[in-house]
Amino acid sequence: MGDADKLPGRRSFLRGVAGGVAGGVVAGGAAGYAVRASQPGPAMAADTASLDGRLPAVPFHGRYQAGIVPPSQRQTAVISFDTTVDGKSGLADLFQTITSRARFLTAGGTPPPVGIDGPPSDSGVLGPTVVPDGLTVTFGVGSTLFDDRYGLAGKLPGRLTPMKPFPNDDLDPAQTGGDMILQLSAGNADTVLHALRDIARHTRGGMQINWRIDGFTSPARPAGTVPRNLMGFMDGIANPPLSKAKELLWVQRGTAGEPEWTADGSYFVVRLIRMFVEFWDRVDVYEQQQMIGRDRATGFPMDAKSLFAAPDFGADPTGAVIPVNAHIRLANPRTPQTASSRILRRAYNYDRGIDQVGDLDQGLIFTCFQQDLKRQFEAVQTRLIGEPLVDYISPFGGGYFLALPGVRDTADWYGRALLA
Amino acid sequence: MLAMAMRKTPLLTIAVLAAMALLTACGGGGASNTISFNSASCGGSWTLAKPGWHTFELYNANDVGGEIDLIDPRTSGIYAEADQFGPGTTQTMSLNVGSGRYAFRCIFEDTDPMTGPTVTVPGHVKGFTATVPVTNNELVGPAKQYQAYAAAGLKTLVGQTETLASDVQRGNLAAARGDWLRAHLTYETLGAAYDAFGNFDDEIDGRADALGVSNPQWTGFYRLEYGLWHGQSAGELAPYASKLAADVRSLLAAWPTMEIPLIDIGLRTHEILENALEFQLTGHDDYGSGTTLATTLANIQGTRELLSLLHPLLVTRYPGLPGVYTWLDRLQTLLEAEHQPDGTWVPVAQLPASAREEIDAACSQALQELAPIASIAEPRNT
Repeated sequence: MGDADKLPGRRSFLRGVAGGVAGGVVAGGAAGYAVRASQPGPAMAADTASLDGRLPAVPFHGRYQAGIVPPSQRQTAVISFDTTVDGKSGLADLFQTITSRARFLTAGGTPPPVGIDGPPSDSGVLGPTVVPDGLTVTFGVGSTLFDDRYGLAGKLPGRLTPMKPFPNDDLDPAQTGGDMILQLSAGNADTVLHALRDIARHTRGGMQINWRIDGFTSPARPAGTVPRNLMGFMDGIANPPLSKAKELLWVQRGTAGEPEWTADGSYFVVRLIRMFVEFWDRVDVYEQQQMIGRDRATGFPMDAKSLFAAPDFGADPTGAVIPVNAHIRLANPRTPQTASSRILRRAYNYDRGIDQVGDLDQGLIFTCFQQDLKRQFEAVQTRLIGEPLVDYISPFGGGYFLALPGVRDTADWYGRALLA
Repeated sequence: MLAMAMRKTPLLTIAVLAAMALLTACGGGGASNTISFNSASCGGSWTLAKPGWHTFELYNANDVGGEIDLIDPRTSGIYAEADQFGPGTTQTMSLNVGSGRYAFRCIFEDTDPMTGPTVTVPGHVKGFTATVPVTNNELVGPAKQYQAYAAAGLKTLVGQTETLASDVQRGNLAAARGDWLRAHLTYETLGAAYDAFGNFDDEIDGRADALGVSNPQWTGFYRLEYGLWHGQSAGELAPYASKLAADVRSLLAAWPTMEIPLIDIGLRTHEILENALEFQLTGHDDYGSGTTLATTLANIQGTRELLSLLHPLLVTRYPGLPGVYTWLDRLQTLLEAEHQPDGTWVPVAQLPASAREEIDAACSQALQELAPIASIAEPRNT
């Protein structure tokens, strides 16, 4: 060996920074967001895509992170990390390594051979050529990153706190919080796990997994509708339109109380919610629909005749059709006063074994993005306190994060404005 | 499955032969060549038009298998290798070709090695560097030194396990706990030899896993640890302590007739700490004393011994070597910080989450840095 290009002289957990790509495809320019922004559709993330087979590459570079807006891929993993690097420059190295790996993994290409000088440079889980398969890497930071370790206390995003426990929550500290969050999503589970193994391999000394959960998005059934959660109801129907992104989704430059570096980021909430599906399945469908506010079979609001129709709560002040404490009514009352609390909701199902009584451990990886955590997620969640649905669910983990601004080009990296 | 694979083989051969004929006609330039090897010709005449990433298609037209390396004929350094190369099969070889000299070397079964013609890529373009293989001869010295290191460790261990046995027999279990730790840590510095120790290792340091903790066939350090830290009596433990001392004496006596395979010297540089991560840092091998962090430190010492023996071979071949020491040092510092003033160790399960994450991260990164050594220090016939 001996090649400078094969082994960089940087801090050694950063092998990925200079680890080249043999004959690989380099992701295209910074046009990513513009392409996505022009996508047609009634909602930011309609979660309606029926995504089979290998997906094309999602451009990595852009003003915003690429995994926030487009329709959900079939498979996802949400992984919380704690940093183990020393000092701000160590943290910058770590973020550059994550950038470099994400740039390669989302574009795909052939990992470089190593000759007789070591184990293969890639796990081989995707075969000899890494396919992009629609992989997106969404990277966020938690409030604990801004403690005294890295001298970042003065740069704490204005609305970022540890996740607030709500009255019906049962948060497990071992599955809550974290210095950083990565959400890896792609068309297939092997692509997601390959990406996780690759990123972890290149950052072994720099961060440790704190907690993780894998999830999936179901196909829309019937086709053309919206994927269902494991309670059997369509989930994520009423997302705000992309035209509202400036008011609802992205942190705007110059926002009072927000450090400059947060501009074009988005607050990223993860809530891990167990669903007591056996209990739920013992509830008659009428009562289920009363709790949700939608028809289970069609997804229509109980007062409407189409999936995307807005329920008219004003015409039903006593809740005769949709009870006043139904989930959709509390979550989005559809009043001018609550319009600014709307969130971009992206939920995934999880399924991971059994509990102590042999019931299935299934539920929802609720994720949402918003401009202002308090004005949006916390306002929505406050309205939902005590909703009838709480008997059938138990939020047990997750965290609050700020999804970083996008990586604009090949010279840029995650968190440059924070750490440079 | 098998039937399908067999049906495909002749078709593949025909396709490859056709491709070869085409490339021969074209003179072998471009981004990809198919090069044929047989008992009389190691690659025949081939050319490389220009530097850069290049993928060779290699076809073994011989009727036996073997290994084909792309080498620098001046140094015998290897740019890339195609190992376990079956007759009638193809393999690809990808590398970043720089300015320099290239030749194929064929090592077929039951055949003298052959080196094909040298191809020169002119200019001053940097590509892969050819790593000069480590030979069997070069590893004999380190293996002998390791043999002596293990013998010295076993001699120390004989005295330590005898002290342990006599303290248990006297009923001084407080002293025996100290004896146990000293002796166990000595044994844990000999990690490259456990395989060579054969059944002795099971007797001396076996886990309860398959047997269960109450099975009398479970013997050795962990059995004694379990008893010493679970209130078992001196009378109950004395036979185990005596057997441990006797097993160590027998091992020392047998050691001169045992041999560490040369390939193990490189392999164990990461495998010792792979085991520490799997069994010590998880707490799996804590049978009551809570000293798995100390065990990990002893494992680091054993790893450092191997590294010092291999250092002359690695220093010219492995640019990542300083990173190995950086991370071993960091791991060692983090572990030593958990040694309490009263001489006890913090059990892994009682570590604060952040301390445990730092230790696990440092061990994992050290392993990442160590991993290439197994390939680099693999003895190769040249």
